[in-house]
Amino acid sequence: MAELLQFIITGISVGMVYALIALGFALIWKSSSVANLALGQIVLVSSWFTYSMLVQAKLPVYIAFPLVILFALFLGWVIERFALRPLIAQPILSLITVTLGIGYFIEGVITFIWPWSVDALPRLFPKEVVHIGPAVISQEYLWVIGICLIVFILLTLFFRYHRMGIAMRATADDQMAVQACGIPVTRVFSTSWMFACVVAAIGGILISSIGGITNGLVETGLKAFSVVILGGLDSFVGAIIAGPIIGLCESLGGGYLTQFLWSGVRDIIPFIIIIIVMVIKPYGLFGEKRIERI
Amino acid sequence: MSLPCGIRNYNYAEDMAIIRTKTHWALLIAFLIIIFTMPLYFSNYWLGVFNLIGITLIAAIGLNILVGYCGQLSIGHAGFIAVGAYTAAILTNRLEMPFLVGLIGAGLVSGFIGIIFGLPSVRVKGFYLAITTIAAQFIIVWVINHWSLTGGFNGIKVPYASIGDLVFRSESSQFYLIITIAALCVFFAKNLTRTKVGRAFIAIRDNDLAAEVMGISLLYYKLLAFFIGCFFAGIAGALLAHWIGFLNAEQFSFTESILYIGMIIIGGLGTTIGPIFGVVFIRILQQVLTVNLVPFLENTFTMLPAGFATGVTPMLFGLVIVLFLILEPRGIAHRWGLFKSAYRLWPFSY
Amino acid sequence: MKNKKLVIMVIICLALIVAVLPLFSACGTKAQPGQVLKVGIITPTTGAAAEKGAPMGDANLDAIEYINTELGGVDGYKIEAVWRDSNYDAAKVATIVKNLMDEGCLLFTTSSSKEMQAAMEIANRAEFPGLVCFNAPSLHRPPQHVYGQTPDYGDDWIAFTNLYLKNIWKGSGKPKMALLLLSNPTGYGARDAARAYADKLGIEILWDGQVGKAFEHAATTTSETEALTRIKAMNPDVLYISSTPAPTAVIIKNASELGMYPKITIGCGHASFTKKLIDIAGVDIVDGVYGAFPTVMWGENVPGMAKMTEYLQKKHPKDADNMDYITAWAQSLVVAEILKNAIKNAGYDVLAKGNVDSWRAVETKGIQKLKGYDVGGLQGAVSYTPGDNRLTKFNRIYQIVNGKISNPSAWTEASLVKYEEFDWFGK
Repeated sequence: MAELLQFIITGISVGMVYALIALGFALIWKSSSVANLALGQIVLVSSWFTYSMLVQAKLPVYIAFPLVILFALFLGWVIERFALRPLIAQPILSLITVTLGIGYFIEGVITFIWPWSVDALPRLFPKEVVHIGPAVISQEYLWVIGICLIVFILLTLFFRYHRMGIAMRATADDQMAVQACGIPVTRVFSTSWMFACVVAAIGGILISSIGGITNGLVETGLKAFSVVILGGLDSFVGAIIAGPIIGLCESLGGGYLTQFLWSGVRDIIPFIIIIIVMVIKPYGLFGEKRIERI
Repeated sequence: MSLPCGIRNYNYAEDMAIIRTKTHWALLIAFLIIIFTMPLYFSNYWLGVFNLIGITLIAAIGLNILVGYCGQLSIGHAGFIAVGAYTAAILTNRLEMPFLVGLIGAGLVSGFIGIIFGLPSVRVKGFYLAITTIAAQFIIVWVINHWSLTGGFNGIKVPYASIGDLVFRSESSQFYLIITIAALCVFFAKNLTRTKVGRAFIAIRDNDLAAEVMGISLLYYKLLAFFIGCFFAGIAGALLAHWIGFLNAEQFSFTESILYIGMIIIGGLGTTIGPIFGVVFIRILQQVLTVNLVPFLENTFTMLPAGFATGVTPMLFGLVIVLFLILEPRGIAHRWGLFKSAYRLWPFSY
Repeated sequence: MKNKKLVIMVIICLALIVAVLPLFSACGTKAQPGQVLKVGIITPTTGAAAEKGAPMGDANLDAIEYINTELGGVDGYKIEAVWRDSNYDAAKVATIVKNLMDEGCLLFTTSSSKEMQAAMEIANRAEFPGLVCFNAPSLHRPPQHVYGQTPDYGDDWIAFTNLYLKNIWKGSGKPKMALLLLSNPTGYGARDAARAYADKLGIEILWDGQVGKAFEHAATTTSETEALTRIKAMNPDVLYISSTPAPTAVIIKNASELGMYPKITIGCGHASFTKKLIDIAGVDIVDGVYGAFPTVMWGENVPGMAKMTEYLQKKHPKDADNMDYITAWAQSLVVAEILKNAIKNAGYDVLAKGNVDSWRAVETKGIQKLKGYDVGGLQGAVSYTPGDNRLTKFNRIYQIVNGKISNPSAWTEASLVKYEEFDWFGK
């Protein structure tokens, strides 16, 4: 019984990590219908930049973090301006491939600047764990859950009430009408990419303080796709709810099935969920169904 | 396509012919002669590179049929190649079957797995299908890693290919085998566009709802596209298994799938000659980078931390893919077509 | 874009320049007539095992520079190191080994069992001899052309278990050990040894569901709480981790979060037991962890220590206190000795050919003639015994105390375990 509680708590915390990354993905999809397959690499490069600031440049935390945020804004702006704006009206294969190419490029840059590939951030959170009954949860996960919920609330409010948020929703709906109204579509795209990179950077700092900075963050990014698919590509609520669900499935499935099947079952569960969701309900739990006409 | 002036088609056969003029025939035969005599004057190392190009070409042609002709986004091609490679390995190593059985078996099993993972294509398309194929790639690699039949994480050995008493041990013998099969595949793909199946694929790519309204069965043709694409991937995988001699699931990573998509886009999507250009470009670039450029950079810039130049390869590939998409989205095949027209219309080519 | 054509032209020109430049240098080196001995060196300097590969690559090349400049090469012939970074990627290793064979290298070395496993088939088919310093039982049983510079991961497990039973276990009956292993030859070496020898040594292994199935993790894992929770429910007395430093750090951190450590004893294989483990996990977390390692530790009084320390401080001071540096330095010394034997017994002309005759000569007249070479005292003496491709069989257990690896045990000899006699081996 104690195991079950531990599995549940670990599952929810890991799931919230995925949900944080999924929020970044949903943000870009919601405003420009572009699938950002380079999200894992953006998370990784933000983590490495944080490492650079904290360890290599030895800056104090209150200077380093704003610098990381600025770096993420700059990265988002650069990607949108140089790689995505020329491809605004292209078919979807081009858009997907260009984000794949950007991800590949960022991986190369990471190996180029930090070839030693594996490192750890200095300890940002205290070591003691929090006990919930017989189970334990480390403080970093609590921070992840808290920040994830805050980001979710901020994004939802932004999209509902702020002028730029409403403009983003309008652009996703009908680009030409938005241009006719005089809203600069390019600025909408830039803003959405910059915000998404900031969310990814925050996620990166939190995730790498949990498990260190390794290339495993890219795989975590890929697993976050299952959260996105399950929750619906353009829904923040979906990301927050589907995140813990996938985390729970991973944790419980890994915990109870590994004895009977093969070790490593835990890694494949998100991908199997993707296939199942595709077959049953392609648009996810909270996504909008696309209606196509000839 | 555009023909030199003065050529007229007088019957349907001439209209549909692939090679129309005598010059074209002569060039083609000369090209084939050059290819088949390559082992005589190239070193073992370059023959190995060409073998890899041939194997990649077969898989890329399959992917081109799936993505370029039929419009089904598939970013999991390395997984299907892995299925073919491991099938051939299991059939020849564990079950001791002859090479040809392994080859055809690999293609069939891979095509079958392609159909299974292609089933969602009937319900979803575009990005959703791409995610499904990415998931398929990871599931296939995971199964390979955890199944004792495939050797798990340790990998599996593959004996040399052999037909009867002829063992393909040297690079040049394997070169002939691979080039013959690759030529057959190119010919098949080129002919596919002329048939009913090919036209159905192109209709589905352009607008699948309209195609269905016209009476093309989406289920049959989409699954057929997956089967053909993955059949080629399986054959390529089998040849790869015999060429390397040792299989490990890491050779079929997600990065490889991205490279394949990059190859067909750089080469030119939806054309037959596109994959050839794309494969040659990417593989030769890979060789130049890994064998020449990276050690050169490492040796000259020794004050930087070791291993930094390994990052140059992914950087350049990513950059090349992005630049091609921005600047020349129709690929090298389009430039080649422009070049041919310019040559033909000279001095009026502008 | 208005100046699209210009942009394309500029990019093509730059790409051509970049591509053509190194070809000139490559032509240049091939034309050199110098009498060199080419050795291929593969290290995972980037990628998931970079925390080991980088210092090892540094040490390999430093030692070769030391041999060339201060010892005058091997009998007057300089060693030319052809170094390649494998990125801890099996596919890359396959192409690299083929490339090394084409370049005329006489033998090749790798720094990890995973790399050697990827290279094994190609090398064995071509009879290209290889030397690996972190090796697993599966690499040379049955023995072919791959040789191990140090004992393998199975020997680590046996040595640690022996020490645990003799010195640490204070209870009665059989202690319970759980294995949390990396999913590649590094981990499987320990698993195979445990399966073959647990009953004989008197320890009970807590398998995961079925006998022979250990708890496994991936090299890029970020959290192993879930596996450790299940292990904790089985009440183990000792946990053995055979992995690379980064995942081991994660596991030990998770174990201390769950309250398992320091109640139980933790032992590591020599692949993860380096200073990087302490750096990544944090000094307070790994205090008291045991580990096996086949070389001496820094600062011990052996003949080879002085020169090695001098080169370390001169060229790569960042690698200080890292015992992987010692292992790779020793590897280059062993390679030099192999080449010395080969030149003495077969002559330089055979070696200069750089083809299968040279490889056979290097193997039969070089490697197989090694008898009691002491490698400057840095590791156990290196000798070849027929039927056993491990060139040395001596191991030691250390412990991490106050952020440093110290407290060495006596040198233990690992006897030959005939894994291939078990029917479950190699499946």
